[in-house]
Amino acid sequence: MRISLNWLKKYVKIPVSDEELIRLIGARLVEVEGVIDETTKYNNIYIVRVVIAEKIPETHLTLCQIDCGEKDLVQVVCGAPNVREGMLAVWIKPGAIVPASVQEDAPFVIGKRKMLGKYESNGMLAGADELDFGDDHSGIVEIDPEMARPGELLVDVFELSDKILEIENKSLTHRPDCFGLVGFAREVAGILGEKFEVNFVRSSRRAGRISQSLTGPAPGTVRYSARETFRDSRGLAQGSRNLLQISIDNSVCSRYTAVVLEKHGEIRKKYLTWQDTILAKSGMRPIDPIVDATNYLMLLTGQPLHAFDYDKFVAVGGSAKPTIKVRLAKDGEKLVLLDGKEALLNENDIVICSGDVPVALAGAMGGESTMIDENTRNIILESATFSLYNLRKTQMAHGIFSEAITRFTKGQPPYQTLTVAEECAEMLSDGFKVVDVVDQRSSAGRRLENENSFSFCSSPTAVKITTDEINGLLGTEYNESLITKTLENVGFEIKRKRGELEILAPEWRTDIHIKEDIIEEVGRLLGYDNIEPTLPKHGTAEKNKMFGLKLAVREAMKEFGANEVLTYSFVSGRLLDKAGLDKKNSYKIVNSISPELQYVRQSIVPSLLEKAYVNQKIPFDKFALYEMNKVYRKDLGFNDEQVPVERMQMGFVVAERKGVGTAYYKAKYYVSKLLAEFNIEPEFLPIKSKAPMNLPFEDKRAAEIWVSGQCIGVVGEFKNSVRRNFKLAEYLAGFEIDLDLVSELATTKKIESDFEVREKIDETVTTKETYAETLAKILKKYPGAKITPVGIYQPEGVETKNITFHIEK
Amino acid sequence: MTELEELKQELKKLNTGYAKIREVPAEKRGEFGRELNAKKLAILDQIRVAEEAALDTEVEAIDITAPCGVNEKMPEFYSVLDGSKHPLMTELDRVISIYQLMGFDVMESRQLDDEFHMFDSLNFAAEHPARDGYDTFRTEEGLIPPAHTSTMQHRVLKTYKNRLAQGKEIAVVVPGRVYRNEDVDATHEHTFYQCEGVYVSKNCTMGDMLGILREFFEKYYEQKLNIRTQPGYFPFTEPSLEFMIEKPKALGGKKGDFLEMLGCGMIHPNVLKMAGIDPSEYHGFAWGGGIDRLVMLRYGLKDVRHFEAGNLNFLKEF
Repeated sequence: MRISLNWLKKYVKIPVSDEELIRLIGARLVEVEGVIDETTKYNNIYIVRVVIAEKIPETHLTLCQIDCGEKDLVQVVCGAPNVREGMLAVWIKPGAIVPASVQEDAPFVIGKRKMLGKYESNGMLAGADELDFGDDHSGIVEIDPEMARPGELLVDVFELSDKILEIENKSLTHRPDCFGLVGFAREVAGILGEKFEVNFVRSSRRAGRISQSLTGPAPGTVRYSARETFRDSRGLAQGSRNLLQISIDNSVCSRYTAVVLEKHGEIRKKYLTWQDTILAKSGMRPIDPIVDATNYLMLLTGQPLHAFDYDKFVAVGGSAKPTIKVRLAKDGEKLVLLDGKEALLNENDIVICSGDVPVALAGAMGGESTMIDENTRNIILESATFSLYNLRKTQMAHGIFSEAITRFTKGQPPYQTLTVAEECAEMLSDGFKVVDVVDQRSSAGRRLENENSFSFCSSPTAVKITTDEINGLLGTEYNESLITKTLENVGFEIKRKRGELEILAPEWRTDIHIKEDIIEEVGRLLGYDNIEPTLPKHGTAEKNKMFGLKLAVREAMKEFGANEVLTYSFVSGRLLDKAGLDKKNSYKIVNSISPELQYVRQSIVPSLLEKAYVNQKIPFDKFALYEMNKVYRKDLGFNDEQVPVERMQMGFVVAERKGVGTAYYKAKYYVSKLLAEFNIEPEFLPIKSKAPMNLPFEDKRAAEIWVSGQCIGVVGEFKNSVRRNFKLAEYLAGFEIDLDLVSELATTKKIESDFEVREKIDETVTTKETYAETLAKILKKYPGAKITPVGIYQPEGVETKNITFHIEK
Repeated sequence: MTELEELKQELKKLNTGYAKIREVPAEKRGEFGRELNAKKLAILDQIRVAEEAALDTEVEAIDITAPCGVNEKMPEFYSVLDGSKHPLMTELDRVISIYQLMGFDVMESRQLDDEFHMFDSLNFAAEHPARDGYDTFRTEEGLIPPAHTSTMQHRVLKTYKNRLAQGKEIAVVVPGRVYRNEDVDATHEHTFYQCEGVYVSKNCTMGDMLGILREFFEKYYEQKLNIRTQPGYFPFTEPSLEFMIEKPKALGGKKGDFLEMLGCGMIHPNVLKMAGIDPSEYHGFAWGGGIDRLVMLRYGLKDVRHFEAGNLNFLKEF
């Protein structure tokens, strides 16, 4: 959202510098993403009178002599069809930059040049597109002679020396009121400690002439005053013109106000208006007087409006008694929108119907069949509020992100639909008069009949709170009168009752329900930055065993020359296939970014194999990768909280491009030494189970890791098929262990005394048995001794091997 | 003939079948072709499985109990100079150590959770659009890889609420991995790390929250810092704030150059209530912020994608 500081200043007096104002808005209202500085954008651009305009024969050009407030006339060649003698135009002086190009890398500087070889042209007469006020390139801009005189600077007449704030919408999600300038200004007043008095603003009594009130409504003095006009129109409506019925689905539309306007004259869209410049600064484009009026009021109040062609609307419905029906769409229903595209609707979308025929996608976009055009005689102005939940989905389903739906999806409150519709009718009153007003509220809709129907909003609940409660949560010492004044400045009503404040939120604040909401208002408006940071007392933290374990693993593995990696928790179905795992055992992501990230991983090792390939390609000759992270598998089931059981696992892969020897022993060495750090001495037993963790490993060259009767992991080489699937070199092994189990088993490492003197011998056993069987015998022979293997030697052609041990008795 | 050879024979037969397509009436050729292709794919799949099985049978068993291979050297570690710790983990350890010194317990976040913990228990109204703002992933079962570590708030409150009865405070930090369904670029990752903090006591204030956060960042950056806040919106805190620090000089910061570090606020009474804590007796505050950003700032890294790329050229720098 964009906020013009000049526009803002029309509604609130700002005693501080722009820089300070922007800082305060950031600290106390909303994130300001950026500031567009337009203070020099319109330099050297003047209002001029075209004194003489002569057609240059056989061209579309006109040779003009213009009065730019100086003694002499200046000659300019103009190509626009609408240039004529006597008109006030906008002149970009030679040397000035074309405003529409100021953001470009090479802004376009207007010069003095010869046209057709003989007509000197000094500068240019500008169109709306060149001035960055719209896309209109059909002619040059014309200025109302009541507004300016030749020689005046454009920037002064239209107050164009401005700064535009770019507001981060997300941080105002809960504040629909701030999506209108009036609401934004109210907050700014509150931040500055001033009372905001403007309730609703009448910018001009006459349509299309907002530019006349350039000085704008002064803060605190202008109040809504359109009632007389409306009373007249209401007279008409009550008298004879019962033109429209409304029927709404209460669950998706809280209020629907329709005003029927009848054409009685032409709206002149001839002069550049101040309203056009506001639309442009707010990031919108002037289109035609009716659409511009609805857009301007939306920017001002936050309430979006829509205009239907009444006669087309009646024709589409095909009934003598036209009815506006608001309902949910049927699945598969179709509607051609204003942009000419056919939308395929679903049962979440809300549609506006004539009778039962959809004519607009509520809150999002009007339909082509009831679009207003230059022949439109009668208009239905819609001012309504719809369910933000439905519109939120509509926005996503149809990819419509207009200024209107952005406001609706914040949950515009229904209190001002009639007021804004009325204001719009007033702005268009040069060309249209009100002939019917129907206002339907959910549950109890009724035709506008008496003065009281103005205050439609249900009364908000009062919040009771004490100043101690406010200060107690914020850590402040604000007194009651400061708190009261701060809240009253932005429209809260406060009664003092037996030491408590009874606080009533204004009708535009739908977000105030509990004490904390009031505390937020006070803390925010008075500035969180004014709260003194303090430190509460604290106890001593408990040790977290897993955190300590992982810290120790990292220390050890770095010493061991291994590299810690992090890989995604989500993997592809192909990766699971490649590692020989069952996809059906993985939780599947339904809205994954890509097939590469479709399954929650069951173990760590497959991800590491993928990274091993990346690194062998780089190429790194040899490395050991490991990762510690959580894994989930369907076969683990759910825990007491009804969420999947999780395990913290460590995966490890060692890979060499030109390695020789048996990689299994390298991986086993790593895991043995690592577990020894936690005083765990595992046994390595043949793989028996089909546990998912075991699946990538080759049974004949891998082992389960057992400690105290439970299996804590697996170590070994991978199946040939797995290794080939990951395109890895032959020397490859790894392990995967369950760190939750390791954490349970871990004890502090015993520190061995260096002073103990032991007798040392080497002993070689010649055997056909396995190492473990041989070791068992040695241990029996030397009880209590410390035994380390030295090597295993098997001479060629011999069936027995020689195993050598180093024994410290 | 082995199974594999049989399969290959069958494939050959099938391939000759394609020639027969000319004999099929034109209107039925599409169907004929599709059937043939399906059969071919099925056989190719069977061949792949058979080939893998054959590959895996040509394996020599080893003595898994031995410390080394026969006639091979005893295994050794790679050089300590090759070893590295992941910078994200190193910093996360550091962050946690600082909080522990400040009296905070540690509870690691889950990586697969449910709607209740991710949203309901945090005062997100049912169907509220704020839920969409988190761009969550979902599994077929409706489970959610959490989009913020706040998914643990309810558990922290329930697990530690007996502390309150003992007259102590709840002070816990929750580090963890979180996920958002967004496109990856130099500054956005779908997978990243956060650290949450939760503090509840009888009389803590927003001033205390600002004090703790400033203390943490001053310890983390080892210097005095200017702090700043701006209003924010989270359904589970009220009031809600964004917390900023002035960019530390050591990181090339200039005066007035503020960085958004985290979101924070006073815990919403509904969140306390859901966990069985009486909000009229206790209040608390919570915060959560990204770790990746801290690390990038600290090391001057420009591309968040390095963290999960597993590239040793990057990792060995740490």
